[in-house]
Amino acid sequence: MESQNNKIKDKSKSFVHLGKFKKILLYIILGIFGFVALYPLIWMIYTSFKSNNDISISAFALPRKLHFENYLNAWETAKIGVYFFNSAFVSIISIIITILIGSSAAFILSKFEFKLRKFIYTLFIIGMLIPLQSVLVPLFIQMRALHLLDTEWSLILTYTAFGLPVTIFVLESFMRAFPDSIIEAAIMDGSSIPRVFFNIIIPMSRPAIATITILNFLNNWKEFSFALIFITSDIKKTLPLGLYNFLGAYTSDYAGLMAALVISSIPVVIMYLVLQEQIINGMTAGAVKG
Amino acid sequence: MDLIRKNKKYIIIGLLPALLFYLILVIYPIGRSFYYGFFDWNGLGDPNFIGLKNFTEILTDPVFFLSLKNTMFIVVASVFGQLPIGLIIAVILSKKMKGARFFRSAFFMPMIMSTVVVALLWSTILNSQVGIINTLLNNFGLQKFAHDWLGDPKYAMFTVSGVIIWQFVGFYMIIFLAALQNIPEEIMEAASIDGAGEVKKLFLITLPMMWDTIMAAVVLCIAGSMRSFDLVFVMTQGGPAHATEIMATYMYNKTFSIYRYGYGSAVSLTICLISLTFIIASRVIMRKKIEA
Repeated sequence: MESQNNKIKDKSKSFVHLGKFKKILLYIILGIFGFVALYPLIWMIYTSFKSNNDISISAFALPRKLHFENYLNAWETAKIGVYFFNSAFVSIISIIITILIGSSAAFILSKFEFKLRKFIYTLFIIGMLIPLQSVLVPLFIQMRALHLLDTEWSLILTYTAFGLPVTIFVLESFMRAFPDSIIEAAIMDGSSIPRVFFNIIIPMSRPAIATITILNFLNNWKEFSFALIFITSDIKKTLPLGLYNFLGAYTSDYAGLMAALVISSIPVVIMYLVLQEQIINGMTAGAVKG
Repeated sequence: MDLIRKNKKYIIIGLLPALLFYLILVIYPIGRSFYYGFFDWNGLGDPNFIGLKNFTEILTDPVFFLSLKNTMFIVVASVFGQLPIGLIIAVILSKKMKGARFFRSAFFMPMIMSTVVVALLWSTILNSQVGIINTLLNNFGLQKFAHDWLGDPKYAMFTVSGVIIWQFVGFYMIIFLAALQNIPEEIMEAASIDGAGEVKKLFLITLPMMWDTIMAAVVLCIAGSMRSFDLVFVMTQGGPAHATEIMATYMYNKTFSIYRYGYGSAVSLTICLISLTFIIASRVIMRKKIEA
């Protein structure tokens, strides 16, 4: 009886009991979808090492010789290097401000009592529902009024503000679960509230802060719409905007374009390979709960 | 302790920075744009109050209706493209076959790429001279199926929707995979003992048990695809001849290329209302279905 039970369990659990034919069929379906998902990315990488001449002779063929100069051209001539550092600067500064002010707001909202607590929390959470395109014109008018158009600060301030809803949503629910007794004990020992925040709450929130940092970095690094309407000077453009203009300026330099696309994807792909589970969970969990 | 947790000083110091950022850069601009929607304003001179004229102009502009129709096209294509494909892949991967982890990572990969990168990569792939799609069709003697995918108004919307599906399938695969893993194995065992085959189990047990998740995914997918802008803007800018004009590109083209900020504000507001109506309506309808 025992062994029979185990057998059935094994059967229902796995792939093993499917017939050979069915197994092969599933692999074929998966293989086709997998090919469609990955081949464009693989093509992008090897095309970036071809010469434009080779590309026009055969779009499929692997590079006959590795043309690293495509990368050099993209980085220097097409200013991808400049855009890269602009993107890094804007993304990182916005994340630092978002985490700093977002975590202190989350702490107050999760552990303090005051009249408008619920209202303010809801106000922040609504931000996750606002369709981005409905704020482009208002933000443009606002940035012009603040005389910040065509500066890095227009992007830093915007990314910070729009990063707050998800940051507060994640951190507030994380901090809410901390037992009050920890804070009480620290206060008894004579710690001030700021000390409790920096020495206890922040270190305890590290996993949630890590998730939020990754999510905000991905969002900021990829962001295009705000950059498109705020930034006009070439030297202040971020990567997505710079890439967009690549098309106009070097219309037929496909090798250079592919090299530029690879360069701009390297940071996120490395992050993805290292922190895959956090990224997948962070991007999907928030969506399902919200 | 209680006194500390009601201490106004700390509450204000802790909350104010985030609140200021948020009020100045999110809430106030939206409110102000609501106001400008009733004005004729080129952004420089004094705004001129014109009442509902901007809104009547939007609602009588055939291009706006075309953009609304195209946005709906993307929504429908996304719901009927991303979700079924994501579900098929998730069901296969949930069989715990060899290499499942690799495939899972691979399908999610396009999600982390910048939309601009995806748009430019696919523009090149679909390019009629160096693109691999047409090269492939030509090599197989299928010349008559090779088209100018983005330049021909007949195909442009299908092409754009296809790329959107390619980018987001992995996202729904992950959501479905999580739901599939939550189905208790005992139920599947019992069904196997009763002699149910794989297909029967899929339609009679698996799908009904993850119905809530599927409905949630439909709502997410509608909300997500109403938001698309970057991809369409980079690939076609709404062209050729408005063939791929969606609400967001319409707003961009009306505001930033011809400096009509009053009109642009009114369009923003209209988009916001239409999107929210759709999102809320889809939530209500789906919830009813779950209860029924």
